[in-house]
Amino acid sequence: MAVITTRGITKTYNPDTIPVHALNGVDLDIEKGEFTAIVGPSGSGKTTLLNIIGGLDRPTAGEVTVGGQAIEELSDNQLIDFRKDHIGFVFQAYNLIPVLTALENVEFVMLLQKRPASERRERAMELLRAVGLEDKIHKRPSELSGGQQQRVAVARALAPKPTFILADEPTANLDSTSTAQLLDIMAELNHRESVTFLFSTHDQRVIDRARRIVTLVDGRIDQDVQQSQPASS
Amino acid sequence: MTARLAWRNIWRNPTRSLVVMIAIMLGIYAAMFMSGFATGMARSYVNNAIQTMVGHIQVHVPAYQEEARTAYYLPNPSDLSAFAKKQEGLAGYSLRTQVMGMAASSHGNRGVQIRGVDPELEASVTDLDELLADGDFFGETRRNQILIGRKMAENLRVDLRSKVVLTFQDLSGTITAGAFRVTGIFESGNTGFDEGTVLVRQSDLNRLLVPVDSLLPDSLHLPESHLIAHEFTLLLDDPGQLDTIQGAFRNAFPGLLVENYKELAPDLRLYESQIQNISIIYLAIILLALVFGIINTMLMAVLERIKELGMLMAVGMNKGKVFSMIVLETLFLTLIGAPIGILLGHLTITYFGRVGIDLSAFSTAMQEYGLSEQLFLELEPVVYYQIPIGVLITAVLAALYPAWKAIRLRPVDAIHKI
Repeated sequence: MAVITTRGITKTYNPDTIPVHALNGVDLDIEKGEFTAIVGPSGSGKTTLLNIIGGLDRPTAGEVTVGGQAIEELSDNQLIDFRKDHIGFVFQAYNLIPVLTALENVEFVMLLQKRPASERRERAMELLRAVGLEDKIHKRPSELSGGQQQRVAVARALAPKPTFILADEPTANLDSTSTAQLLDIMAELNHRESVTFLFSTHDQRVIDRARRIVTLVDGRIDQDVQQSQPASS
Repeated sequence: MTARLAWRNIWRNPTRSLVVMIAIMLGIYAAMFMSGFATGMARSYVNNAIQTMVGHIQVHVPAYQEEARTAYYLPNPSDLSAFAKKQEGLAGYSLRTQVMGMAASSHGNRGVQIRGVDPELEASVTDLDELLADGDFFGETRRNQILIGRKMAENLRVDLRSKVVLTFQDLSGTITAGAFRVTGIFESGNTGFDEGTVLVRQSDLNRLLVPVDSLLPDSLHLPESHLIAHEFTLLLDDPGQLDTIQGAFRNAFPGLLVENYKELAPDLRLYESQIQNISIIYLAIILLALVFGIINTMLMAVLERIKELGMLMAVGMNKGKVFSMIVLETLFLTLIGAPIGILLGHLTITYFGRVGIDLSAFSTAMQEYGLSEQLFLELEPVVYYQIPIGVLITAVLAALYPAWKAIRLRPVDAIHKI
């Protein structure tokens, strides 16, 4: 069964003035455990699609179902709770909480989920170990490199055991080494924890590692291909 | 976690947070100081009036309060004294003989209230014996001594040992006069009192006031003691006992008018009633100014964190928690600044409440208004409750708009804000 299903998604900005059609009827099914990249030129609708799938924005028309839940039926407050429990986010600019340490950042969403302290701490430590930052747990974001911050962001996204992880241009601000490390970590976690990853990206290195590549052009799916042999590090 | 986040957030920009804390601290300190100053002035006015003129309670025959005629004397002054001696909580009492008359010297004359007193009793209800600039408080044994205020001495151009003639009506209505020697010049700190009141021994005044029996009108019956006194004044140890003692005298002497200082001098009641209002007004003005300062700061703190707030909501922090976080940040800023301000204010009030502030540079103006040159700061205890409550309300009010702005953000827009 698909973890994410979109049917006839359209999104039009400024409908009353100068309409901009960002998405024009997108039908997409993402299965559990996929490692999928959404690619396309700037303005093709990648980020808009991710925002809608992530419950951050609402479509003008169409349906989005995540884990069997039609998210357009949820109120704004219900959506916040839904995101907390089902969706992990990795942002281009890392977006960690600057006043919290790496460990606290990873624990943060679990705290919102009211998980017991011991469970939070154990899970956060395990994830930080998995992303190779066990020696940086008490560092604040300002004391970490960009690559390290993004690894903390991946750990944070995984912490609440979400249904899937949305990563919007996760490597855009990283150098080659950091990108390679991050992709290795994400691929490993995808494999080990069977977490579904959905990226939007321009980065060929990310595209090369994806098992499925969905290409958007002018708000429509132009190509949807499976890579039989994704590149490895 | 919300509280921890809020606490750490206020230290992201320590300079800005410290500026707000110092503003809150100074605002509260200023409110307390001004309130203490105003309360001290009001209290000084009230206490001066009580200790030089009114006392806490006065007893008269009812007609005397309508028209202060010489004939309206107390029918049984010794009974009042005897009753007062049995009362607890009295600092002192004094029987006063009071007539209106003229004081004349070789250089001029002035209308005066002539107050005949028993020096020992009068010293127990007023502090005039301590306010003598020259001479002493009826320290000599000779007859017809007079104490006058500095202002009166200047007006009549007299000094110690000078002669002053007092002219007034005796009980029969006949104009009588007596020559008195100035043995003391007082500076009560109240110009009006100093230029309008003279003190003489009660026995000297009584001798002039009571004519020979043959001339006394039939309608007048002298008290058994032959003591003519128009006013019985009480000073209390504890002003909180005012109603109790006033009630006791009213019950014991139903035919007499027993009034407290608030009834006798409405201006004193007004001053007293305004003491608390003054504090509230000062506090309200300063807190109002602080509200806008805090709103400005918190709004800046929210606007420069739009992206972060969007991220928090994106990953699942609900609007209630975001709202609480902003309110808590404001409360933390306030709760650090306010106690320091209250502590500094309290120390200042305590210190200047003990040693006073020397305002002798403004002595003329102060005395015109019946105020002491030495001003002792004082704060009503209730102000210590009003301030924290006021500050708390201010902080919450100031936080509402920035917090509302924060929860109005759409995560999708906020995250992509550059």
